Amino acid sequence: MTTPEINLLFHQPISDHAFNADRSLLAVTRENNVELFTRSGKGFTLKDELKGHDKTVTSVDISPVTGRIVTCSQDRNALVWEPTSDGAWKPTLVLLRLNRAATFVRWSPDASKFAVGSGARAIAICYFEEENDWWVSKHIKKPLRSTVLSVAWHPNSVLLAAGSTDAHARVFSSFIKGVDNKPAPTAWGERIPFNTVCGEFINNSGGWVHAVDFSPSGDTLAFAAHDSSVTLVYPSAPEQPPRAVITVTTPMLPFVTLAWLNENELVAGGHDCQPVVFQGDVSGWKMAYSVDDPSKKGEVGEGERSALNMFKQMDLKGKDAAADDSTLRTVHQNTIVTIRPYEGQPGNITKFSSTGVDGRIVIFPKIPRRA
Amino acid sequence: MSQSLRPYLKCVRSSLTAAISLSNFASQTAERHNAPEIEAGRTPEVILNPLVIARNENEKVLIETSINSIRVSIKIKQADEIEHILVHKFMRFLTQRAENFFILRRKPVKGYDISFLITNFHTEAMLKHKLVDFIIHFMEEVDKEISEMKLFLNARARFVAEAFLTPVSSFHGAAVLSWG
Amino acid sequence: MSPTLTANYRLIDIDALDADAQFPPELLNPPCPPVGISEIQGLAGQCRQLLQRGDQEGALKVALENVPYGGDEAGKDLHLQTILEILSSIRSSEMANTLSRLSSLPNGTELLDVLTKYIYKGMKDASSGAGSGGKMSVLLSWHEKVVDIAGEGSIVRCMTDRRTV
Repeated sequence: MTTPEINLLFHQPISDHAFNADRSLLAVTRENNVELFTRSGKGFTLKDELKGHDKTVTSVDISPVTGRIVTCSQDRNALVWEPTSDGAWKPTLVLLRLNRAATFVRWSPDASKFAVGSGARAIAICYFEEENDWWVSKHIKKPLRSTVLSVAWHPNSVLLAAGSTDAHARVFSSFIKGVDNKPAPTAWGERIPFNTVCGEFINNSGGWVHAVDFSPSGDTLAFAAHDSSVTLVYPSAPEQPPRAVITVTTPMLPFVTLAWLNENELVAGGHDCQPVVFQGDVSGWKMAYSVDDPSKKGEVGEGERSALNMFKQMDLKGKDAAADDSTLRTVHQNTIVTIRPYEGQPGNITKFSSTGVDGRIVIFPKIPRRA
Repeated sequence: MSQSLRPYLKCVRSSLTAAISLSNFASQTAERHNAPEIEAGRTPEVILNPLVIARNENEKVLIETSINSIRVSIKIKQADEIEHILVHKFMRFLTQRAENFFILRRKPVKGYDISFLITNFHTEAMLKHKLVDFIIHFMEEVDKEISEMKLFLNARARFVAEAFLTPVSSFHGAAVLSWG
Repeated sequence: MSPTLTANYRLIDIDALDADAQFPPELLNPPCPPVGISEIQGLAGQCRQLLQRGDQEGALKVALENVPYGGDEAGKDLHLQTILEILSSIRSSEMANTLSRLSSLPNGTELLDVLTKYIYKGMKDASSGAGSGGKMSVLLSWHEKVVDIAGEGSIVRCMTDRRTV
């Protein structure tokens, strides 16, 4: 199938979405709640609502290993939801100890921990304490000086990347004794106690770092900043300057989310409302193509326009087109906020899902859309 | 429309399009608050460099951007004292009804005649390019409106002056007649 | 009574007393090596020579490649004047060609981003002075051409970049 699958869930912004392992269950944020949808034919049916937060839910994640759902919200809390035998979901409050909004949450790949980014200039690494039967947290504080906008896990479940509004992307160690086994050394670091900073990166032209992600192998870090760029970092060895830092600046509006497709391709989306694929390797990266290029689409639903009106538009409004423009020509009608892999193995993703401010969930194949 | 207005509006349009790239952002200074950072001004790192677009020293636009809100301030052309008064009164009329305009700020930024405040909640509910259109439309209409009002005011002044002087001249005429 | 007792304690900014809540300014503004005014003057002279030889494009390239980020206000203003001089010496029919040649250079996007910064700075500075309508229309048409080539991304970078010109 080469056409994107488009579903309008509701007319409200979706700040995050997550699928479970077999893609039968979809969780999306909606204001103070999280809604659970199941696949039904081509669409999605609302199945359940997770009510527990009293401010905007900012992020949701489902662990593919355990099926547990974790949510976090601007009310400073995070909740872990577990299915009960009668099909309901039971929330457990996490001891985050944060005094500002929680902004972003992700399960570690082995599902033993999750990381919560926050406006309290800290990342809470949460893990389960058997003896007390609750989720507790340990904070990564230094050298964060501003709100954490996103976090991403390395495949080894110990290294964690974070992007923040102080324009830095950083790689931390979240090693917790008793929870993690000692990880194999990587190019990022060998001996890595908790809160070790394994790397700190900034663009020349600054910009808040909206999204970070490790490549499937974990050997490359990508981050998208508010200066409309995507930067790739190839580390060389622990404590050494990286092998290559490649910044691809684009003529587009800033990207706010990105996801790796394979070691040499990633997809980014943002304020231009279209997912864009970047390709390259350690010697160089480039913006390859847009998956949903509005300029390549046929003229749809465009009524006739008078020449006079067109010139009037050009003259008065400084705008070239006079078409009826109450809909955008992209699939998404507003900023894309989250892109996640949908189909394929890590390292060979063939489809990805995206949600945005327009309340749509779209499943795109990674090839460009035909007219 | 004059030759130099088109590049001016085009520049404002592209600058606004670039600036209105907003996301939801909860305050990091006040607990459980979510306020426009450009107004709060307590978090320097989420506020970007301001941009000024000017057509001449009397007509300019100031765009101040933050992570979740932007403030657009417009200085409207005022060639003489009458236009100055008209602009002031007209803007006062609009700002008193600010809630009907959603994005209008109740008080203009110092040095400008009118300000708009656009937050991420506006861009969530409304199409971004339509918001930009609205501001551009406002900019071109307000010039037209002010010059029309000025013409109307002058015509009215002339009429009033004539009406005021008419009885005087007829009275004089009558007096001359009665004495004659 | 001591001033601390009379001060309204509700108005005390407690965040200012918390070292953790402070945002270090050097994180926001990465330090730039200081540039002396004589260097900028030298650069201006070099650009003027290129202009006299009729090499406007070369002059523009030199001026955009050597940006005095670390200079003081006077130095930055001087460099702005140099760039404005070069910009107004290029005919409007040549603008688009000049820009597309600049952008095809390896550091092309960087050069155009710098140009965008100077266009905005030019408008900001001149708008406070008088009698600058002509200069504005030059800057506005340059702006239009730059955005055609470098897109809105260059405007975004002009806002995010803390290395101001």
